[in-house]
Amino acid sequence: MTDTYPGAARVGIGGPVGSGKTALIEQIVPRVIKRGIEVGVITNDLVTQEDAQRLKRSGLIDPERVIAVETGACPHTAIREDPSLNIHEANVLEDTFENLDLILIESGGDNLASTFSLALVDYWLFVIDVAGGDDIPRKRGPGVVLSDLLVINKTDLAPYVGADVDLMVREAKAVRGEKPLYLTNCRTGEGVDAVLEQVLHDALVARSPK
Amino acid sequence: MRATRRHAYTLTKGAADLLVLNEIIGQAGDPDISRRLHELDHLGKIEYITFSKEDALRHRVRVVTDHGTECAVVLRRSARIVDGAVLLLDDDRAIVTRLSERNWLSLVPRDIAAALELGYQAGNNHWTVRFDGPVMRIAVEGPERNYLDRLAAFFSDRRVTRIDDGR
Ligand SMILES: Nc1nc2c(ncn2[C@@H]2O[C@H](COP(=O)(O)OP(=O)(O)OP(=O)(O)O)[C@@H](O)[C@H]2O)c(=O)[nH]1
Ligand SMILES: [Mg+2]
Repeated sequence: MTDTYPGAARVGIGGPVGSGKTALIEQIVPRVIKRGIEVGVITNDLVTQEDAQRLKRSGLIDPERVIAVETGACPHTAIREDPSLNIHEANVLEDTFENLDLILIESGGDNLASTFSLALVDYWLFVIDVAGGDDIPRKRGPGVVLSDLLVINKTDLAPYVGADVDLMVREAKAVRGEKPLYLTNCRTGEGVDAVLEQVLHDALVARSPK
Repeated sequence: MRATRRHAYTLTKGAADLLVLNEIIGQAGDPDISRRLHELDHLGKIEYITFSKEDALRHRVRVVTDHGTECAVVLRRSARIVDGAVLLLDDDRAIVTRLSERNWLSLVPRDIAAALELGYQAGNNHWTVRFDGPVMRIAVEGPERNYLDRLAAFFSDRRVTRIDDGR
């Protein structure tokens, strides 16, 4: 039995400014390519195309598979209230690369309240970091509470900023219930395999036929 | 035209056992379908999947039916899960969706000052709200405690009262 192409899985990556969203994408991209998964990336920036340029130049991915969306002042609008621009670009990627399996959409760095519309993505991650303060999970921002998967990044910095990672994990679990949570160091790639495994599992990413 | 191809959701553990549901065949209320469902119902062969209003927006999601069948729902972007969508209709089994009612927190502010502040608080938190005359209803996503704690100050000095009027 054959079925018609349902499009690529669309996975959102949100989180506060500088938490490591692009760094996580830079870790994920080579891993998925190695597994034969066809990937594209959309980045959202306020007024520049900084992240898109960084990815295009990285050598990790065909630059044509990276698209920048400029959001203007309010980055969360483009992923929640009116995601039409991002939906359009995702459609463009799918039309251009017919066997696309996965589209990663990085939101512009925002605050703890940003969430993705499920009209845009099938699944979304929220990336926070230990240097942003170990009280962040306790503050119960919608991103921390509602995201499908929470990433606590920059674990390597915990000793330097006096962050209690165990406390962060405990408090994050308390507000998130059963939903998954992973610790990462996106400089070295530590913990990224587990994140990827969970995303592939939950977002039902297919593999292009060879 | 999009390419037709085979999909193998076999990247991770257990995926091979998943029942892939990739189209909405019709509505449980459609005459033809409802007749067949009626027959299957007698045999106890209709399985239901319950979605929250939020999850119903998804196009790819792992779910388990009330009979314990593990499914991968993979729909085209144009498809939309509604109450009574039929995802599978065989001679010996049907799978039908149900939408769970949204859980609303119903609040009554004591006076105009409290109402203004409550409205500000809700907006600031990006909560989904509904206005019902003097009652403000907040859509609860995730644990209810997360909302109650945020509103604790309103409750403690009785500027806002929670009511249960069955809605
Ligand atoms: N020590 C350490 N630094 C990290 C880690 N992850 C990212 N960084 C650094 O943190 C800075 C911000 O990382 P980005 O990936 O650009 O963060 P971002 O969330 O994409 O930032 P915006 O898109 O501007 O919101 C960069 O200097 C990264 O090198 C980590 O795990 N450990
Ligand atoms: Mg970035």
